Amino acid sequence: MSNDVLRGNFQTRDKVEIKQSEETLEDRFEMEAKKRLGGSIAFVSKKKVMWDTDKK
Amino acid sequence: MAKILLINPTVREEDVPRHVPYGIALLAAIAMEKGHLVQVYDENAWRQGDETTKAVCVADDWDIIGYGGITTTYASVKRIARIAREYAPQAVQVMGGGLLTSLPREMMSWIPQVDVGCVGEGFITFPEICDMVDRGGREFWDIKGTVSRKPGGGLIMSQMRPLMHDLDSLPFPAWELFPLEEVYFKNSQVLFSEEGMLASRRLDINTSYGCSLICRFCYHLGIAGDMRYEEDENGDLNVAFDQPGTYTRSIRYHSPEYVGALVKHAYDKFNINFIGFLDENLMTMDKFSGRTWMNDICNQWHDLGFAPKANDDGTWTGIHWAGTSHATLCTKEVLKTMREAGCSHLVYGYESFAPHVLKTIGKGATRESNLRSFFWTLEAGIRPVPNQIIGFPNEDFDSIRMNMHAWDDLGIQVKPHFATPYPGSEWFTTYRERISGQYDGDMERFILDLGDASSISAVISHNFNAVELLGLREAMLQLNYRRIDEYEQIWRKNHQIPDGAPSTLLSENMTGAFLRDADKVKSAIKDSERQDAVAETTGAASTH
Ligand code: B12
Ligand code: SF4
Repeated sequence: MSNDVLRGNFQTRDKVEIKQSEETLEDRFEMEAKKRLGGSIAFVSKKKVMWDTDKK
Repeated sequence: MAKILLINPTVREEDVPRHVPYGIALLAAIAMEKGHLVQVYDENAWRQGDETTKAVCVADDWDIIGYGGITTTYASVKRIARIAREYAPQAVQVMGGGLLTSLPREMMSWIPQVDVGCVGEGFITFPEICDMVDRGGREFWDIKGTVSRKPGGGLIMSQMRPLMHDLDSLPFPAWELFPLEEVYFKNSQVLFSEEGMLASRRLDINTSYGCSLICRFCYHLGIAGDMRYEEDENGDLNVAFDQPGTYTRSIRYHSPEYVGALVKHAYDKFNINFIGFLDENLMTMDKFSGRTWMNDICNQWHDLGFAPKANDDGTWTGIHWAGTSHATLCTKEVLKTMREAGCSHLVYGYESFAPHVLKTIGKGATRESNLRSFFWTLEAGIRPVPNQIIGFPNEDFDSIRMNMHAWDDLGIQVKPHFATPYPGSEWFTTYRERISGQYDGDMERFILDLGDASSISAVISHNFNAVELLGLREAMLQLNYRRIDEYEQIWRKNHQIPDGAPSTLLSENMTGAFLRDADKVKSAIKDSERQDAVAETTGAASTH
């Protein structure tokens, strides 16, 4: 296993490493819920909604 | 030697990456064999976003940045090209694959950063481009199989690149340049059979090129002998694919010995336990070879000790495998032989169980051959994967019900695809104006809209619009005959088609041979559009 995203037959000048995109609990939940969408499974995708409850 | 960066664009973002791009893996191996310096960035596997693509572009002084893939990689390719021009302005950008090949002139104008396109097969064209760049040349029009930019503006298509016949001279794909352990092996599972489900180290191989059939919704990437060059009305060369009455094919396959050696290489080097054959249609090759090819590949499996043997605990040793079959071209004997060598499932594009639909699609199959192959495959111990499509030009309520009955009788669980006219297919050519009409004349929007054929894009059905097809599919999935019967009554009223008359807007002489005649279809579409326009101004009901 390697963190290098570039693979080849020579060493590149700069190394490019994987940005460990830590999957948050929110990401995991939304992905799992999406797979079962329908019936009584419905959820709000928090990244897509903007709300401000103080705004009149 | 040239410094080459190959980027595999992102595809099918809604799913995890499952397939090492075989074409790019072969091109990387060929370029390395020729002595070039090669790196691969598998954007589809890593899914790291634009920042990483930018970092990759500045990681070295690239002479060439190459990318390409299937039609649905368009959005990703366009984004990569823009980033590459900004962050690696010195690099010659080379685009290839089915995406470029189906619409070379359009792609060169929609993606202005591309310097040279590789039209069709890349095995010889790509290394020739690399050599030219390495020598400092930029006269890509001297290389067969390219589309490039004239110094004073405009495009030049060079002569067509002949297909390579000595396929066994190809090196093995450079799988080692892709994140097998990190990404692909984790996504090895194929939920088409028990063995596929348990696959934990799968690699795919492509052992043949071509298919003898002429399914009108199918595109063969210009690498199956399906592509011709023609002059357009301005005298400029352009690609042409299947058209009514003009079908060309070249059937090519690797020797069973090459296939055996390739699988052994995959096993020795990567310890695989499952092989997916990417071939369009294994049975074409079997038939074409006089029924020796599949048999000899199966013998290779036995000779190399890969034919699976069951253990007491339900696991097995050896390598299971799967591929694509064809209802009329398969035989009972070959299926049995394939099972004995470890074949676990076979995809069948049955598409429909309605005889009047099957007659028009070019599949060379009938309801009977569909049913026969279905049972032969089950009897052999292989799981058939029965693909279905709705929304064909002459799809009607009868065909919809026939499909539902077949699913019901045969225990088929399926969510059908929608008949989709991908560029390069015969129906793209036939229905081109109608498709572009559905996107306000903007063909690029159609390309961007294309994804899996399980979502709807351009409709080519003469009887149903997009909303109807979506609704009908939902009712089909629930085997809800009642709703379909009810909707048929509404549909008949809307279209003034009396009970008892066929449930179609096509008259009797507009099926079969009619649907195989592009000119007639085009003029019928124009007529119906004229009628629709009249209907709209008079307020009469109209669906299209
Ligand atoms: C693997 C595969 C996929 C993978 C893609 C994986 C990947 N990253 O490549 C997945 C599973 C995602 C896929 C999906 C679909 N696929 Co698919 N798929 C294939 C398959 C089985 C193998 C492709 C392959 O490796 N071919 C062999 C290699 C050697 O060919 P190649 O990649 O084209 O490369 C050669 C040239 O094109 C060129 N080239 C390619 N890239 C580059 C890059 C550069 C820089 C250069 C110079 C040259 C070049 O050089 C190579 C050597 O000649 C083909 C069938 C087949 N046997 O080709 C169908 C095929 C490509 N798929 C097809 C279809 C219809 C689909 C779907 C639309 C089906 C559906 N379910 O709806 C979906 C689309 C999904 C989506 N949302 O995007 C069609 C055509 C699609 C098209 N219009 O482009 C094909 C041809 C099958 C068929 N006959 O119907 N597919
Ligand atoms: S049988 Fe399959 S690969 Fe061959 S033309 Fe039909 S859909 Fe395409």
